Amino acid sequence: MQEELFTSGRNIPKIDPNLEIWHWPISLYLFLGGLAAGILFFAALFYLMGKEKEYPGAVRYTAIIPPIALSMGLLALVYDLTHKLYTWQLYTTFRIESPMSWGAWVLLIVTPLSFLWFFSFYSENYPKTEEKLKLFKKFKFLTTFEQFLKDNRKYIAYALIPLTLVLGVYTGILLSAFNARPLWNNAILGPLFLTSGLSTGAAAIILLSRSTKEKHLFGKIDLALIIVELALIAHMIMGYYAGSQVQLEAMQLLVGGDFTLMFFGFVVILGLIIPAALEFIELIGYKVPVIVAAMLVLLGGLIFRFVMVEAGQLTRFLY
Amino acid sequence: MVIDTLKCVGCSDCVVACQTENDVPIGYCRDWIVETVSGTYPNLDLELKSERCNHCDNAPCVRCCPTGASHSLPSGIVLVTADECIGCGACIESCPYDARYQHPDGYVDKCTFCHHRLEKGQLPACVSVCPTKCMYFGDLDNPNSEVSQLLKNRKYKTLAPEAGTNPHVFYLI
Repeated sequence: MQEELFTSGRNIPKIDPNLEIWHWPISLYLFLGGLAAGILFFAALFYLMGKEKEYPGAVRYTAIIPPIALSMGLLALVYDLTHKLYTWQLYTTFRIESPMSWGAWVLLIVTPLSFLWFFSFYSENYPKTEEKLKLFKKFKFLTTFEQFLKDNRKYIAYALIPLTLVLGVYTGILLSAFNARPLWNNAILGPLFLTSGLSTGAAAIILLSRSTKEKHLFGKIDLALIIVELALIAHMIMGYYAGSQVQLEAMQLLVGGDFTLMFFGFVVILGLIIPAALEFIELIGYKVPVIVAAMLVLLGGLIFRFVMVEAGQLTRFLY
Repeated sequence: MVIDTLKCVGCSDCVVACQTENDVPIGYCRDWIVETVSGTYPNLDLELKSERCNHCDNAPCVRCCPTGASHSLPSGIVLVTADECIGCGACIESCPYDARYQHPDGYVDKCTFCHHRLEKGQLPACVSVCPTKCMYFGDLDNPNSEVSQLLKNRKYKTLAPEAGTNPHVFYLI
């Protein structure tokens, strides 16, 4: 039997310990990007369905989250770059093969749209703040601007639906495009991150909604999304089992390795199964605090990004 | 590039030559030595080899780069333009050989096959200093070149061919 006893690997003090170059800002951004995509998707969808009055939580109240989440996400992304002064180089070219290029351009469009979307609901959402600040009295053009946005809200919503879907999928594809990191290198990561993003978006809507009817509906939507997400995770694990040696080794981090507790304990059980159970119990008529379920979904989504980013970078071909 | 693992003694001269020639900051390097012992005692086999960027045909780093800073020359050499690099690290994540690193100045750096020397008709620094002459550099498209002849007549392997990158550093075994 041929047996490899020893490989020196490399011993480059300043390189090898630093190859895990994507740190917490990336995980945080993937979560915030997914969350913003989820919220904006539901907002645009329910607005276009003419349900603005019926479901104000989805369309209006949550409008403040995406601009903040995307701005923080963008800051986090730039913070993790090492050649920050050259960031503008992203926008000198579009590279169709590079997921990061797609993401950079989509963010460049979605972030301003999220601000416009928020502002178009400003005086409806925050009449008290407006009374204090008197922005509209001080700056006359704001009234015309808001009216213009209100008139064109439909077009913003039409643009947001495909763009948020691309944003949601891209947070996963960003990782899955790297064949050198076997844990990431599976095609299901795109749909999985999109589903997770939509699910966290639905959870945020539940948290900010004030009507039982709306909470109930988004509880149902979230439950469906969680079931899809669990199925996709099962597919992902099956894919690793059926994969090549490097993928089998990568999977061992999640199944029986260092990340098992984090992945199955915090992401799958605490972040998916328990909220799904709570939402189901609520659905069949018992009174349970759906807010707990929503918080767990958000927390689970965040931990999921951290686990995938950290664990993925430990898996490789050589050494 | 062709490297004869049967002649390599793992002296690291190539590493030092590269650091000197390319002004690589202290603690970093663009090439390195790997020592592998395999077999079952007492029938053991020791393999020494010098590794670096494989200048892949299907380079994942070039594919993933969002700005086009990582690019392939027509000759097949993969380079990074420092002024276009934003330091996002996508290429580092995408390289199965872990051949890239973040330069202390922020951009991503790696082996260039000493492109500046090739333009002057010289060999890469590592090849030119190797005391056992175990490294060969040349044009693989030319069937009469020394490297093409070596690959025709000797057994060889590449690193992680399963990664599908079509690497261009060959190891004679």
